[in-house]
Amino acid sequence: MVENTPSPLPERAISGFVLFLGSQFGFFLYCLWAFVPEEWLHSVGLTYWPQKYWALAVPIYLLVALMICFVLLFGVNMNNTAPLDSIDNITDVYARGQRNDDCRKGGIPPIKDVSLKADYWFN
Amino acid sequence: MEDEAFTDINGKSISLDCHSHSGLCREFTVSSPKVSIGKVMVYTCSVWLSAYAVFFFTENTAVLSCAIFVTLVGMMLHIHFVKVDHESLLVIGSLGIQVSSSYASGRETTTFIEMGKIKDIVINEAIYMHQIIYYLCVLLKDPSEADAVSSVVPLFQSSKPRLNCLVKVYKSCQEILSKC
Repeated sequence: MVENTPSPLPERAISGFVLFLGSQFGFFLYCLWAFVPEEWLHSVGLTYWPQKYWALAVPIYLLVALMICFVLLFGVNMNNTAPLDSIDNITDVYARGQRNDDCRKGGIPPIKDVSLKADYWFN
Repeated sequence: MEDEAFTDINGKSISLDCHSHSGLCREFTVSSPKVSIGKVMVYTCSVWLSAYAVFFFTENTAVLSCAIFVTLVGMMLHIHFVKVDHESLLVIGSLGIQVSSSYASGRETTTFIEMGKIKDIVINEAIYMHQIIYYLCVLLKDPSEADAVSSVVPLFQSSKPRLNCLVKVYKSCQEILSKC
């Protein structure tokens, strides 16, 4: 029986720790490449590696892209909002398909949308 | 004719005028505040000062004449196409409703919707930019199909009044619509 719970499990803890160690090690290697001078890297034999310019450029590119993503997400949300004259503000396919005559005698009426005509304004 | 202190969704004050022509015919007019001379002067001065600053650095007189042209054309387009002076809703029982908006330059646009196409006039709330507002809208239906809403016409779009103003108009409209 497969259990689908969000609670901590041993496998999740292990994979999380492996990812943590891997990311720390990857960061250490990145710093190593960024700080070691070019001549030392050439002397070891690593000649065809990217320019040191990219050690600064890539993080800055990523951060600027992140900032723009926040603004863009807000803009995309506002663009996708239905305008005031759209029928989507009133009803949609699922609401139109509701039937009004499913009431059994003495039973609880099924869930239905409340109509827009508001009788509580008249008090 | 009643005039209380109504405001629109941004807090600017508007005025509502309800006029009952007869038992079956009522007209509601929502007026926005007029163009203020202070705002006009601020905009004109800022545009001309920045144009003068650009001229000071580039020594190109075309910038100045361009700025004058832009402000004049911009003001004319604004009062003719953008700035709404008042919007009115005329409800005539069993005939239809007429929606008209008149701009600051005197231009008037009018739309008539016949009663056979009108399903109801309701206050709906919807998301508008970053807020949720109430707005009055006419629900239209196909004359052949009496149950389904075919389209929505929002009313008082330029001078979006707040709920107290909309409730007044709504109650008055429903009295007429329920009679016919």
